[in-house]
Amino acid sequence: MNIKTITIGAIIAATLSSVAFTHEGATGIVKERMDTMSIMGKNIKLLVPMMQGKSTYDAEVVKAAALEIKSHSGETMTKLFPKMEMDMPTNISKAKPAIWQEWEKFSALSDQLYLYTDGLVLAAENGLNNNAPAQDNTSMMGSSSALMGGTINAIPTLDELSAMSADSVFKLVSNACSSCHTQFRTD
Amino acid sequence: MRAIFLAAIAVTLVVTVGLGAVIFLPIGQKVQPNNLSGDVNRGAYLARASGCIACHTDFAKNGNPLAGGVKFATSFGDLYSPNITTNKEYGIGNWSIENFDMAVRQGISPEGEAYYPAFTYEFYRNFTDQDIADLWAAFQTVAAVSNPSKDHEMPFPFNQRWGLKLWRVAFLTNPKTQSDPNKSEVWNRGRLLAEGATHCAACHTPRNLAGARKTKDRHFNGNESLPGGGKAPAIDINSLKKNNWTIENLAYALETGITPNGDSFGDSMGKHVLYSTSFLTPKDQIAIATYLLEEN
Repeated sequence: MNIKTITIGAIIAATLSSVAFTHEGATGIVKERMDTMSIMGKNIKLLVPMMQGKSTYDAEVVKAAALEIKSHSGETMTKLFPKMEMDMPTNISKAKPAIWQEWEKFSALSDQLYLYTDGLVLAAENGLNNNAPAQDNTSMMGSSSALMGGTINAIPTLDELSAMSADSVFKLVSNACSSCHTQFRTD
Repeated sequence: MRAIFLAAIAVTLVVTVGLGAVIFLPIGQKVQPNNLSGDVNRGAYLARASGCIACHTDFAKNGNPLAGGVKFATSFGDLYSPNITTNKEYGIGNWSIENFDMAVRQGISPEGEAYYPAFTYEFYRNFTDQDIADLWAAFQTVAAVSNPSKDHEMPFPFNQRWGLKLWRVAFLTNPKTQSDPNKSEVWNRGRLLAEGATHCAACHTPRNLAGARKTKDRHFNGNESLPGGGKAPAIDINSLKKNNWTIENLAYALETGITPNGDSFGDSMGKHVLYSTSFLTPKDQIAIATYLLEEN
């Protein structure tokens, strides 16, 4: 056993202990990302009634919330999922092994969240699109080919996002959350 | 001794004939010809609501729409959703509308075999002739994909499809989609969707050892063991209320996946929202939430 092996062993042991679970809940990196998710959730919760037009729209609040979510997305988020966790017990963590098996897809979604929240910061001033046609006709929810799964929407650029209404961009933000949770979380 | 021998032969005969009768007994009702003109848009909307696209498209692998291949790891074995594109060899391109009707409303293949109940045909049994014509019209617009369906991996005895005939006799029920004249139009629309097309109970009602839903006394009480290992929470009115759901925030969750605490659904419910309920009109999202949450 050489010094390198011992060092690596020590690092692994230290990391393992930092992600050891208490009887109540997560610790270490698992807890850190749960806290991160919870911060993002609080911001989403704050924005929902505003985006629905059910509370007074405040562009500054929207910007601040979008900035906060953005600050936790992209690489900042993916760094909270160190690869070695693949071998860790997952009775507390809800992360699916697919995160590490399909890392590119996972990080692409985290990057999308970064892009969309960046876009929401810029689109905040645009306000809500209250004049959008109400989608309440059963035959009018997009084309039949989109309904049958035929259309894949391209990811808009930051420029395009900045010209959209805040609620439209917010939908993309929430869609990024859902897409990621659907593929990579166990519930 | 001779009597025992004869009795043994008689028992063997009865069992063989009985088993043969079950194996070869045709199932299902004869399908009436359907000459109605189908509305593609309405059919596509119904296909979305019913989860056709969600379950028959392998989104995780960027699969083509309705080309199948999604794995359902049930407690009986692994099932894979088949290719239901218009491809003549591997999809349903050679089917007639009557074959389609038989599959959707009765759960029986053109060869007369029963489908596994992982295919949620049980919920589609009250679809109208017009619904079938609309769905059929919509399916004709799907691009043909030449991927063969993946074979199911069911161990014996569950790979014996004739066993499903007995299952059907014992467990197959009609969904409770009928209108209640004492309820609002919105509530009744919600009932039609929730108990029928959107088949909430498929995941949110526990199943017995034979994989049949405990419909009588555990409807919407949640399921701890979904295919693939997930869990579905109880969505009976008391459970929903206890977890802070309202008609308004549930309708919003069906649209966006966002839950009342700012989280968003993941795994199978996330998938169901992304590929099915988010495509519903706000009116229909509210209708489902109203049916699930409105007090009597």
